[in-house]
Amino acid sequence: MKRTFHHDNLAETGHPAGAVRPRSLGSFISVPVIFLILTIVLTVNQPAQAYIGPGAGFAVLGSFLVMLGAMAAAVVTMFTWPIRWIFRSIRGRRALARSKVKKLVILGLDGLDPGLAGKFMADGKLPNFARLRDQGYFGRLQTTVPSISPVAWSSFQTGSNPGKHNIFDFLTRDKKTYLPKLSSVSIHPPPGKLKLGKYEIPLGKADIRLLRKGKPFWHYLGEHGIFSNVLRVPITFPPEKFKGVTLSAMCVPDLRGSQGTFSFFTTRKLGHGEYIGGERTEVIREKNSNGTEIIRSELIGPNNPILAEHPDMKCPFTVTLANGKTVRKNSSQNSHQKNVDLPDDDQTISDTQTIPDTQAVLKVNGESFNLEKGRYTDWITVEFKAGLGIKVRGICQFLLLNTAPDFELYVTPINIDPEKPAMPIAYPMVYSTYFAKQQGSFATLGLAEDTWALNNNILDDQTFLHQCIQGDQEREKMFFDALAKVKRGLVVCVFDGTDRVQHTYWRYLDGKHPARDFQKHNQERDAIEKLYQRMDKLVGQTMKKCTGDDTVLMIMSDHGFNTFRYGVDLNRWLEENGYLVLKENGRGEKYLAGIDWSQTRAFAVGLSGMFLNLKGREAQGIVDPGTEATQLREEIAQKLTNLVDPQRNTEAVKQVYNAQKIYTGPYKNEAPDLLVGYQVGYRASWETAVGQVTEKIFHDNTKAWSGDHCIDRSLVPGVLFCNRKINTEQPRIIDLGPTVLDMFGVDVPQHMDGKPLEIVTNGEKVDSPSLPKATKQKNNDN
Amino acid sequence: MAFINNILSTALAALNIAVNALANIIFAPIGFLPGWLSNTIISAVMGVLLLILFKYTSNQKAIGRTRDYIKANMLALKLFKDELSITFVSQGKVFLGAFRLLFHSLRPLLVMMVPAVMILAQMAGWYQFRPLKTGETALVTIKLNNADPKNNNNPNGNTNRILPEVSLAPSPAAEMTIGPVRIAQLNEIRWQIQARQIGQHNLTFNVAGQDYHKQLHVGPGLQKISPLRPGWKWYDIILYPLEKPFPADSPIQEISIDYPNRPGWADGSNNWMIYFFLVSMAFALLFKSALKVKI
Repeated sequence: MKRTFHHDNLAETGHPAGAVRPRSLGSFISVPVIFLILTIVLTVNQPAQAYIGPGAGFAVLGSFLVMLGAMAAAVVTMFTWPIRWIFRSIRGRRALARSKVKKLVILGLDGLDPGLAGKFMADGKLPNFARLRDQGYFGRLQTTVPSISPVAWSSFQTGSNPGKHNIFDFLTRDKKTYLPKLSSVSIHPPPGKLKLGKYEIPLGKADIRLLRKGKPFWHYLGEHGIFSNVLRVPITFPPEKFKGVTLSAMCVPDLRGSQGTFSFFTTRKLGHGEYIGGERTEVIREKNSNGTEIIRSELIGPNNPILAEHPDMKCPFTVTLANGKTVRKNSSQNSHQKNVDLPDDDQTISDTQTIPDTQAVLKVNGESFNLEKGRYTDWITVEFKAGLGIKVRGICQFLLLNTAPDFELYVTPINIDPEKPAMPIAYPMVYSTYFAKQQGSFATLGLAEDTWALNNNILDDQTFLHQCIQGDQEREKMFFDALAKVKRGLVVCVFDGTDRVQHTYWRYLDGKHPARDFQKHNQERDAIEKLYQRMDKLVGQTMKKCTGDDTVLMIMSDHGFNTFRYGVDLNRWLEENGYLVLKENGRGEKYLAGIDWSQTRAFAVGLSGMFLNLKGREAQGIVDPGTEATQLREEIAQKLTNLVDPQRNTEAVKQVYNAQKIYTGPYKNEAPDLLVGYQVGYRASWETAVGQVTEKIFHDNTKAWSGDHCIDRSLVPGVLFCNRKINTEQPRIIDLGPTVLDMFGVDVPQHMDGKPLEIVTNGEKVDSPSLPKATKQKNNDN
Repeated sequence: MAFINNILSTALAALNIAVNALANIIFAPIGFLPGWLSNTIISAVMGVLLLILFKYTSNQKAIGRTRDYIKANMLALKLFKDELSITFVSQGKVFLGAFRLLFHSLRPLLVMMVPAVMILAQMAGWYQFRPLKTGETALVTIKLNNADPKNNNNPNGNTNRILPEVSLAPSPAAEMTIGPVRIAQLNEIRWQIQARQIGQHNLTFNVAGQDYHKQLHVGPGLQKISPLRPGWKWYDIILYPLEKPFPADSPIQEISIDYPNRPGWADGSNNWMIYFFLVSMAFALLFKSALKVKI
């Protein structure tokens, strides 16, 4: 480039504020950066000379991008909101006109027992529950047959008897193989696969299907433009699409696809082995040159989906036992995890740190964490590498139980990571991410409290209770967030720590319980009373947020509780009465594997159901589905009702229900043929639940799991509190869904069996709800 | 201010000696690699290095928390979009989060500013300008200090000031075609020169009997060019590191040559910096997860 200068323009090129400066770094100034560092450079009163680039520049730019994104979202929201509002108003205008409430809150406390609640209220220990009772309503809530959470919560959601929602127990049997299987969800691998050498690439997604039929009542609210926030209601996995948000609960599996498999690592000479609900790995100590000891092992993850043989994926970890020596950090330290209960704000180890005997250093996925005896770590993210760059993420907590003489480490089941879930656990999918970002990781497993680790004596009272309390704390944050976010609509949240604590600490309430001395040191004798008091605080806080005249608050449970002293081996009873025949050496076989199907007319699996080996239904059925089946049902029911525990001379069974008589709906033939309503103190034995046949009918229940509700439903009603008077004499759990619909001015669908409760709003009695005739006529027992 | 300037200038001038020596070795391949390639390599490496530096100079915990806070509120915008009040509250929280993020990036920004600017100044030497071609003209400007009392006693700043005698020594490298033009108001004297001989040369200026030098680059290809020999000002010393600064008591404040801009989409004037920014960002992003850095 040729440039010519004249004498005159040589002078003109002078910058008014100073000399001609070559345009270099200083001339290329990023406006945002100037904005940021202006304060710094102004100290020298010179033009801003800034740098842009990665790192700090990136962060600066990032924050501006965030602002830009937020502004864009604001603009979109502002412009689309009126359209959405008009659409919503048109869609829900009828319901809006008839709506009796603006907001309805249902706080589900799984297993809250009306008897205990009444007792503690009378003792003045539950002031908030008592206030709610005095202000509105407190009564018993009739539950379902059987009185089991998945059944009861399914009836709650659908307003229907089990014959219409198809959930009759936790487990059912596979009609072809007789193997027990989950009744609420089926998970099948992707339909196709592409073989590439040792790899097998799945084509398509796994088929995860909710087996609960019917639609939950919040679906109908959504059809009328009413938003619902549904948190951890059992039997909502996989989550269904509707107008609202939901986080799934009971039956959400762990990363391995089980309902919760804990791991226990120990140097005790026990070998590798399995527990119910967990597995044990024997580990050895290796000496390090610096005097410390190291333990190496692996967490077991899900099957590798891309390797042809589908081996378990593994995540190696080490635990360094310093034995009072100094440990030098040799890897990146986790910078954000901390122990829940540690007074220290930061549990990460410094470069060199003397670790006492009661502590150890865990290294997993390249990060290090301090382990302290008796204290859980926070949720730790673990990654399982499948190959080809594919990773599966989960979260778990570690608990160092002992360092000497034996090393003992407990690891919770590996939960699906809510931040990046490996399978859908929320609707919309990002709802779990939202909570993870807002409050950190949280338990996603359906039955998050590890009762089997307690039953197996790996956890003690305190460390198990910690899990229950932690779960409740996580849930509380979600619940109060939902209360704040929903201005008009429905909020339902279920706390299930109430169920787990009563299941496992009932032995302290029952002086005659065989498991009273389950652990040498009774540490949490008043766990149940404290639980009710914790729930009372929760109720108090909830009441504060539900003060408006247009807000209805209901607190309910799906069933109550009672003691579980003795297990009844139904299969043994069937055997003794000639209905079931075992194969040679079949006794003790799990999963109904020991049964000779060619001679067996009835069998039991699960917690309350008994099936006939029906021709045309079961793969090897021998009972004719006509008269023979009818007579057999009657015969077994009659005999079983008279079952007496000879040792205690007490009746073990209160009532046996014939599914054909008590259920209505298209799925009643899927139900167990007979459902056993046990007397107080009795329940299906642990062996019956998994399809095992023992040598005797009655077994002492010596497990920590000492309270139960899988007995006759009349003995374990649920509870209902409301901040309004209720004029219905006998509220039932199936009435709650229809009640909610009615309160929001939505017609109750005819197929629902429940009917709206008569709730008094604003001091006046609510008009009799307008119901379709068919619904009004129905007032089935179920 | 003079005191701070003096300390910073002394430190930076010393640092420049080391940085120049190091850069001469590290950046030497620029001279023979295609400009886009060398800039890509440097940007990629810098992106990763500065990312690591960011990791260890920032509060990663707090940044992580803030990022989560922002993300949660962004998701709230999506999840609860029918509630206008929630939308506004969440947006407010997103802005708050963005400001927090900005705040958390201040410390690493301050720490990294000096090394980053030094490196970029070195790169600017290569990519911002091209050397003069033979026969091509350029403007040479010498800026003088206000040391002469005759100049300082003029409160109106008019053009009556007297500039000292300054001469540009003849050189085979370049021929003076116009000048000197004295602009007393700006304390500047200017020449137009025409490049004659390929190579790296020194222009010699004589001020009150003393010689002062300024590099001149003539020729093809990529050469490290110093467009300005700075005076005793810390910010000029850091931005124009290739020549030794004039001391504080020097009658010359700075000497500059108006080199032509270098053409090129990745290694041309100003474009090199945009390219650097984009590539370094891309690599920083690429390595963010592997290096476990929250930004």
